[in-house]
Amino acid sequence: MEPFIRIGIDIGGTFTDLQILDERNGALRSLKTPTTPEDPSIGLLTGITQAAQRFGFTLGDIRLLLHGTTIATNAVLERKLARGVLLTTAGFEDVLEIGRHGRRDVYGLRPHQEPPLIPRDRRLGLPERMRADGGVEIPLAEGAVDALLPRLDALGAEAVAVCLLHAHVNPAHEQRVAERLRALRPGLPVSLSSEISPEIREYERSSTTVLNALLMPVVGHYLDRLSGRMAEAGLKARLLLVQSNGGVCSAEVAKRQPARLLLSGPSGGALATLRMAETLGRPNLLGVDMGGTSYDVCVVRDGAVTQMTQGEIDHLPVRLPMVEIRTIGSGGGSLAAVDEAGRLRVGPRSAGSRPGPVCYGRGGMEPAVTDANVALGRLDPRFFLGGAMALDRTGASGAIATRIGAPLGLGMEQAAEGMLAVTDTNLAAAARLSLFEKGLDPRDFSLLSFGGAGGLHAVPVAEELGITEVVFPSDASTFSAFGILHSDIVHDLARSRVMPLDSAAMPWIEETAAALRAQGEALLAADGVPEEDRRFTVAADLRYRGQAFELVVPWPDLPELDALLAGFHALHAQRFSYANPGAPVELVALRMSVTGLLPPVHAERAAGLGAERVPEPREIWLSGAWRRIPVHQREQVTSPIAGPALIEEEYTTIFLAEGWRCAPGPAGALIAQRMMQEAA
Amino acid sequence: MSMDPVALEILRNALTATAAEMDVTVWRTSRSTVVRELLDYSTAVFDRDGQNVAQAARIPQHLNSMGAGLLTVLRDHLPVEQWEDGDVVITNDPYCGGQHIPDILAFRPVFVDGARVGIVGTLCHHLDMGGMAAGSYAAAATEVFQEGLRIPPLKLVRRGALNEDILAMMRQNVRRPDMLWGDLQAQLASLAVGEANLQRLAARTGVEAFVSACTQMLDGSERAMRAMIARIPDGRYEFEDFLDDDGISPDPIRIHAAVEVRGEEIIIDLSGCGRQAVGPINATLASSQSAISYAVMAVADTEIPANAGCYRPIRTIAPEGLIVNARHPAPVANRVAVSHRLATTILGALHQAIPGRVPAAYYGVSYVCSFQTIGEDGERGVLVEIEVGGSGAYADGDGLSAYTFGMHNNSNIPAEMIESEMPLTVVGYGLVPGSGGAGRHRGGLGLFREWRIDSPEAIFTANLERFKHRPYGLEGGEPGREGRLFIIRDGEREAMGSKVNNLRLKRGDIVRLETSGGGGYGDPATRTAEARARDAALGYA
Repeated sequence: MEPFIRIGIDIGGTFTDLQILDERNGALRSLKTPTTPEDPSIGLLTGITQAAQRFGFTLGDIRLLLHGTTIATNAVLERKLARGVLLTTAGFEDVLEIGRHGRRDVYGLRPHQEPPLIPRDRRLGLPERMRADGGVEIPLAEGAVDALLPRLDALGAEAVAVCLLHAHVNPAHEQRVAERLRALRPGLPVSLSSEISPEIREYERSSTTVLNALLMPVVGHYLDRLSGRMAEAGLKARLLLVQSNGGVCSAEVAKRQPARLLLSGPSGGALATLRMAETLGRPNLLGVDMGGTSYDVCVVRDGAVTQMTQGEIDHLPVRLPMVEIRTIGSGGGSLAAVDEAGRLRVGPRSAGSRPGPVCYGRGGMEPAVTDANVALGRLDPRFFLGGAMALDRTGASGAIATRIGAPLGLGMEQAAEGMLAVTDTNLAAAARLSLFEKGLDPRDFSLLSFGGAGGLHAVPVAEELGITEVVFPSDASTFSAFGILHSDIVHDLARSRVMPLDSAAMPWIEETAAALRAQGEALLAADGVPEEDRRFTVAADLRYRGQAFELVVPWPDLPELDALLAGFHALHAQRFSYANPGAPVELVALRMSVTGLLPPVHAERAAGLGAERVPEPREIWLSGAWRRIPVHQREQVTSPIAGPALIEEEYTTIFLAEGWRCAPGPAGALIAQRMMQEAA
Repeated sequence: MSMDPVALEILRNALTATAAEMDVTVWRTSRSTVVRELLDYSTAVFDRDGQNVAQAARIPQHLNSMGAGLLTVLRDHLPVEQWEDGDVVITNDPYCGGQHIPDILAFRPVFVDGARVGIVGTLCHHLDMGGMAAGSYAAAATEVFQEGLRIPPLKLVRRGALNEDILAMMRQNVRRPDMLWGDLQAQLASLAVGEANLQRLAARTGVEAFVSACTQMLDGSERAMRAMIARIPDGRYEFEDFLDDDGISPDPIRIHAAVEVRGEEIIIDLSGCGRQAVGPINATLASSQSAISYAVMAVADTEIPANAGCYRPIRTIAPEGLIVNARHPAPVANRVAVSHRLATTILGALHQAIPGRVPAAYYGVSYVCSFQTIGEDGERGVLVEIEVGGSGAYADGDGLSAYTFGMHNNSNIPAEMIESEMPLTVVGYGLVPGSGGAGRHRGGLGLFREWRIDSPEAIFTANLERFKHRPYGLEGGEPGREGRLFIIRDGEREAMGSKVNNLRLKRGDIVRLETSGGGGYGDPATRTAEARARDAALGYA
């Protein structure tokens, strides 16, 4: 029999989440297993083995393994990277260290400056120079690379990044450097800026190239270990890795361009949000993922996840297309405090998981958001993580009363409610800004809430934003893996060149588009994607002359220049509230997104285990009084219920405010809607 | 009736978010590289009387100055009763609340049900406002009239209608009218965003509650500031530092501060500063107060929400006619030089009161260089670059190399972007080894940048400092290396002074700038062997 199992895997800090699809009948199941941080491939194999036993298939039945991984992200956060050397144009060796100057902490005397990933003694200049138009001013001398070799060896280089000025326009020098290095030191990983991020702005391109080079050995070793373990276990499934752009790529591409995996984790959540938007028929969906320490916001608009051309990881810019995710340091563990101006602050400090909130009873003294939820009865202290961990409600209330209530002259309940109100408005502000930056109005969106801590805050945040519908997907805690299951293969290609956008630019554009198309065809052919499943979409980065940041404008009807210009003016007006149709427009880059469609997924959630639990109504503090409200077990919600109410499931609790009602929707989701105001 | 602390915090966050949304609007819609890549702009929200309550802080030099500027406009020029719904009031006049000619302040009152609830404001450094030098940075100016077009406080937009006549007049007087209008439109768009937000918030809380909540926020920050000052030992602490010169005469200019801490208040007496200069290195009082606000806020040992309440416990004594409070029509283009030196001087004084908290002096100057290229066909291009140097060492660590510090906060411009847009080549960009002041902890390194002229002709102007008076060290640390400027023509290298006005350059000429490093902290003899070895290995020393 042909293999028929497709598995989406999301490896997080604590748990490895799996969603398992039987392609024969669309049955969808999920599973969680502890993450093994020392080598995540161990936990991954454990999860797959458990799934096979529990759901009745063999490892040989697995056809496709779609793998979201934080291996690259964690390596950067922990600085467990290869020892690298950076080759630059002579005279520009310090660009990586100087960066772009701007600091975020305006007033303080101790601004944070990120130390460069490659220190000064390992950055070497090459005598060569390209011009902005691609012309050669100083040719790269024969033997220039050979001459550097003794230093390269002495420095113990494990990876080499090459970023030469204007290489995005003319990569000839970078390519010659790579050829020579590969000939002289075969096996030494080399990353060229013109390959990983062929875009203008030397610092951002250098940063991206350096990250890529330093990750090559890390990700390479991980994938080698993983394929070793897969072979040992008799697992012949095809392995694809989730990239920051929401698409997947082959292990070969991931080894060559590991920087593309840096936002692999959150992009699973964005993909899942996109999938829910399609399932529910909601083209505009705001996805919010609230965990213990962070709050991630993504936007699905007109049926597509918003993307950006540059992001950052730990203050280091990454110039690669990625799903746009706004993260703020606000979660269940965010700590509350009253400062000497009498101001109630929540976050950005977090209790983390050690010691954690006071209610964890692990020595935490300062009250966190989770403590406020426990103190006000919103979280059942006996049913946290399905009862796996008992919470100390008395401790939580006491800490809130003494540390927040007393200095503000408020009772414990008012203080805790205040903590939640401040948190909710902070979350709403982050969500608002995510939409605002794009000129979008929250009232045109539904909110999709996932992550363990999200359920208690989603409805209040929606109220704050003027959003009237909130969706709670089933399996909210393995939701990212669900998204991963639906990925397609994506390669993002680009060429950068600053020029006036007029008919004189068309020869370059058409030639470049043809070259990108040929490159894309070759990549998809290597991926084994048949021609009928290949999709190519073109976009151009445009700006008015003098602007320094660009808009990515889709260009489905290339080479129709007027259509592109009209699209740009319209997009500019929408995002920035004005357009200048008469002003000269510049082209900065041409992009091609190359997609190889995987067979579509038709999933039906298999019948849940259906918890037998029948929770009691309980007292919660609501708008200034203790009130007894109904508590429902999620699996048993089969007809509409009205707020105020709580809905509990194993890993999360949903708070339904007064004036809202909630009913089961498609794909096992619960859909909460604000009821129309009734005439008084 | 006062707002409860929870509602107050929620409103405070919403006002800060408003300033942030205004900030995003400017950033994404402006045209010129000054605003977009150098990030030389700020946005703020004021209460109905013009007191600053929230800001998107990018540049300390702008902060209190926007507040002080608005109050000057309201007090001396356009009383708030004359502001109507839909008006936008602008000015760039240093003697009417502005700081220097390139900065245009724009304010818009916000009304709910006919009641004024607040004012929103933006400040943008424009690419060029005319005058005798490109970028309106004229090193040889002796009167503000030479520095560019002055716009007194006036209504560019009256009840929603743009005054096209004023705009035409402005466009006629600047080198790049398209850029001016583009960036002004960004300011107008930002004000519209701020207005909509404030209206939404005030409608929710009710106008009265909104207005009194603003007062509560100001009072809260004042209380926090007073508590912070009370923890600084009482006493009178004096410090002096010098500006190199005004570009006209070679004489140094003394900056002196006597900082008197008395209980919950601080009195900054600047009477010992030099007289106002002939050249454009003067500051108006509003500008000097920004530096004072920055320095006092910077030493705070707790985080205090920055608003106008913070400045109430600070009193300034600065007689008119001094360099820190220039009298009309003194030229002021390089007022930021005074601000930088004032900040390092006050910090130096505060070091005596609270040793260990203040680092040694940072590079202490916005290294502003402007190029005007002239093509074969006479086409002109303008580039304004603002560079940075090393910051001062700390009691417990080395200073930062080539990183913004103190009064300004800009981004640099990518060489690839410059070369794509202008007939200029950036020949090199890097750190200057040995430029950080020696000490137990070393000052941060300055940087060098070299530009080559690729057009037949170009005009170069620079307004620099710290060429003679180096950034000081503390507790035995040595000062950082001085800044330097060279013109390299036909292989010959000529050292220039710190002020260069309209120097004609020709194709192939190279301008090389070396910025100052930061001061060291502690006796250099006590620097550890490991730190020395590291400096040697990385080529920092």
